Amino acid sequence: MIIEGKKRIWQDYQKEIADDRYFYVRSCIRQNFFPGSEKAFLRIMQEELKKDVYENAAHTTCSGIGYHSDVVPFDTAMTVIARQFSLMTESGYENFVTSCITSFGLYSEVLETWKHFPDVLKKVRGYLKEATGREFELPRNVAHASDVIFRFRKEITARGIRRLVDHKTGKPLRVVEHIGCHYSKMFPSKGVGGAEYPYVLVGMIEEWGGEVVDYPERRHCCGFGFRQYLVRANRGYSLANSKKKFESMKPYKPDFILTNCPGCPMFLDRWQYTLSEMEGTTYGENGEGIPVLTYEELAGLILGYDPWDLGLQVHQVPVEPLLNKIGIPYNTSKKFLGKDGQDLGKPDAPSVLKFF
Amino acid sequence: MGRLYDLMAADVRFKEGLKACLNCGTCTAICPAAEFYNYQPRQIVDILQTKDEEKIEALLKEDMIWYCGECMSCVTRCPRGNAPGLLITVLRGLSQDLGYFTESEKGRQQLAIKRTVGEWILEYGYCMFPIEVRPEAHPEQGPIWKWEVEHIEEVMNRLGANYAKTGPGILRKVPDEDLLELKKIFDVTGGTRRFNKIEECSRQKAKEMGMELNNSLDSEYVHHIYTTNDPKHTTTE
Amino acid sequence: MTKTTVIIGGGVAGMTAASRLANLGDKVILLEREEEIGGHLRNWDRLFPNRRPGYEVLDDLRTNLSNQVDIRCNQTVASITSQPSGFHMELESGEILDCDVLLLATGFDLFDARKKEEYGYGIYNNVITSADLEMMFRSGQPITTSQGEVPSRVGFVHCVGSRDEKVGNLYCSKVCCVTGVKQAIEIKEQFPDSKIFGFYMDLRMYDRHFEEMYYEAQQKWDINFLRGRVSECAENQDQTIILKIEDTLTSRPLRMTVDLLVLLVGFVPKPETLRLANLLGIKIGEDRFLESLDEHTRFNHTIKPGIFVAGTAKGPLTISKTIADAGEAALQIHNYLKTIK
Repeated sequence: MIIEGKKRIWQDYQKEIADDRYFYVRSCIRQNFFPGSEKAFLRIMQEELKKDVYENAAHTTCSGIGYHSDVVPFDTAMTVIARQFSLMTESGYENFVTSCITSFGLYSEVLETWKHFPDVLKKVRGYLKEATGREFELPRNVAHASDVIFRFRKEITARGIRRLVDHKTGKPLRVVEHIGCHYSKMFPSKGVGGAEYPYVLVGMIEEWGGEVVDYPERRHCCGFGFRQYLVRANRGYSLANSKKKFESMKPYKPDFILTNCPGCPMFLDRWQYTLSEMEGTTYGENGEGIPVLTYEELAGLILGYDPWDLGLQVHQVPVEPLLNKIGIPYNTSKKFLGKDGQDLGKPDAPSVLKFF
Repeated sequence: MGRLYDLMAADVRFKEGLKACLNCGTCTAICPAAEFYNYQPRQIVDILQTKDEEKIEALLKEDMIWYCGECMSCVTRCPRGNAPGLLITVLRGLSQDLGYFTESEKGRQQLAIKRTVGEWILEYGYCMFPIEVRPEAHPEQGPIWKWEVEHIEEVMNRLGANYAKTGPGILRKVPDEDLLELKKIFDVTGGTRRFNKIEECSRQKAKEMGMELNNSLDSEYVHHIYTTNDPKHTTTE
Repeated sequence: MTKTTVIIGGGVAGMTAASRLANLGDKVILLEREEEIGGHLRNWDRLFPNRRPGYEVLDDLRTNLSNQVDIRCNQTVASITSQPSGFHMELESGEILDCDVLLLATGFDLFDARKKEEYGYGIYNNVITSADLEMMFRSGQPITTSQGEVPSRVGFVHCVGSRDEKVGNLYCSKVCCVTGVKQAIEIKEQFPDSKIFGFYMDLRMYDRHFEEMYYEAQQKWDINFLRGRVSECAENQDQTIILKIEDTLTSRPLRMTVDLLVLLVGFVPKPETLRLANLLGIKIGEDRFLESLDEHTRFNHTIKPGIFVAGTAKGPLTISKTIADAGEAALQIHNYLKTIK
């Protein structure tokens, strides 16, 4: 592989990412499955980087999952989004940051639609006014939270205490990166690095000392497929997609997978568990699986945050082997305690995957 | 032009999604659904551009339009600027709004989605909430998720949530006046109409199929659509 | 005073027009940007449809250039202005040239395959272009993979950079299909045990002898033609290329591995042509090639009197058609020269 070829493409796809005063909207899946990640994002942005990231408590979902599983009509999704913009406007912000990748894709699609079909924008303004009395301005900048962390990756290095390096051998960790489909497949120019060789996660990995590993099925969807997961009868599709990726990346022996979409790490994590239970297969070494991280979790680890504050204990594929490689200390006895140290019992161990 | 084609053509996503297809297969080559299902998105686009009313009506009643995972990989690549993924969202919307969706096994599943994600949007302000992702219905979520749900408030608050409380934060209680705004948006924009249509057509279908369908997720019909998967979708025999 | 024609571009079209005009007794200056004349023809090994050596044609063109033609290489036009009677040029060397007639024969560029990012040209070692392959043929060395091995599976990707809204070129480049079939036969000749695949959307075998080449490729050389446009390429650990394609004739999406993948790159208009056209006020088509005054009856005229155009600056053409086109341009110029004072 000729890395210079990729670098040229990365140069071509630069994207404007606002540097402060963000209006932050949360992700359905992130909140449910990786709450520690959203917490880490705000901690990094507000406490470390002293940025203004504002959350209006009246905001809601963008309805993306409902829209992409087709129970929510496009007009409805557009008007729900218009309401989010109304909250942004009334809060005095213009830079919009989404926690979810599907959201990012949907906001981008809706804004593009309004740009090319102004009569649709007019119609939506009418709907929102009729339903809620609200009005709105369009955001000046829309970015995904991973774009923002990407933008400040050097600042994170400056405050960081860890590197993506095996602390015993000094060798960079081998990292597979997985980009959510809705980040740049529909609008390549809206993704850092475009659709074929996105740079948003590569940039973080390189900056923090890791080695990026490419593999044939890198661009393959993780298989969420919205209705393909939500309905049990269809779940085989979702599983099969992830399995395709695992089989393809396995020979490259990655140390972990880094993702930027909320759904993808959930699936890449849980489907490894499921495959281990169904087939006895694991994809890492020693029956450990390949740990899957969110970029917020990774940034938090670089900054020295406690793994259990970051929420790594709720990953089904154990993250401890990775923490050991980096040399990050952790206290297993505190892993499943509550906020005030309450004993909440322990989850059962899976049959095949290691459990710490 | 037939009535169905006209209805679709009025949708901006249709205008964006269908220029002219030359059947090159680039979309199908990259489509994950085409990989695993007996399915080619190319065929859907090819049928649409015939503008044939009968073929389109048949399409709206078939499983074929429900295989797509809406990943949009096709949109990145099409050399004619078509977007099969977008066209499929238009077809699926129309299939539900016209009541054709209950004619196919995969289409019938929409009730399950409406009664979960659809209703959760209006109830929680988000597409899901932890206690609704029941471990019994989601064994694939694993034992750690099961443990989480059993101690949901403690675990979530350990991870920094403002669980089910007012004010900003993770998994907060979205205020009722804001949920009401969402509901009104659904009412005004056709969201409620679609939800009702899904219910109405499903009830009719349940009757035809001789299955019980009440308001809960534990009805016979809901269980049936949630779990039935004909092998024909993936086998080649 | 003798009227002067300046021809910008010393490729096939420029050389042909220059020699025709010289034979008709007209004064010609041939400007060429590079160190030597000949254009792309210098880089082709063997030409379709009969697979004769390209240098034979180049030699013929050179021989026809009598020493009446003033050939000036390493010359680029910095600026041109129209005068009441002709054109005033400043070359980058500082030289000034005045002439009565201009012939734009600036030719084409090949599509930069790196722009088709999903094919990985410039990233994956075993992805090359048809132009790279021609150079390999010309070198006389046996074709190998990047690891120096004999390729046992070779794929040809048609329509790279053509018929593609994503790279901004909606047109068909005409000659890539027949080039692909030619090169497939040439590789099979070198490696009779190899499996060769052509991945196409349509096979445009439109000119005389082309269709017969296609038949021969299938019947005599066992080339496999698969109707589908390659969607994506990736590299395996052993540097073989894995590609995703749908066999649209059997409706089967599939993955295939090849040792070597050849991208059949199309024509793109030269930036230099567009620059000159803007300087001169010549019309450019939506496909960004030059527009002639009339598609059928004034194919070598432009909207400006005294400015003519020949060859692939007007769009994709084969070598034989370029020669014919340039000959017609020369005749039109010769007739025009008679009409001006």
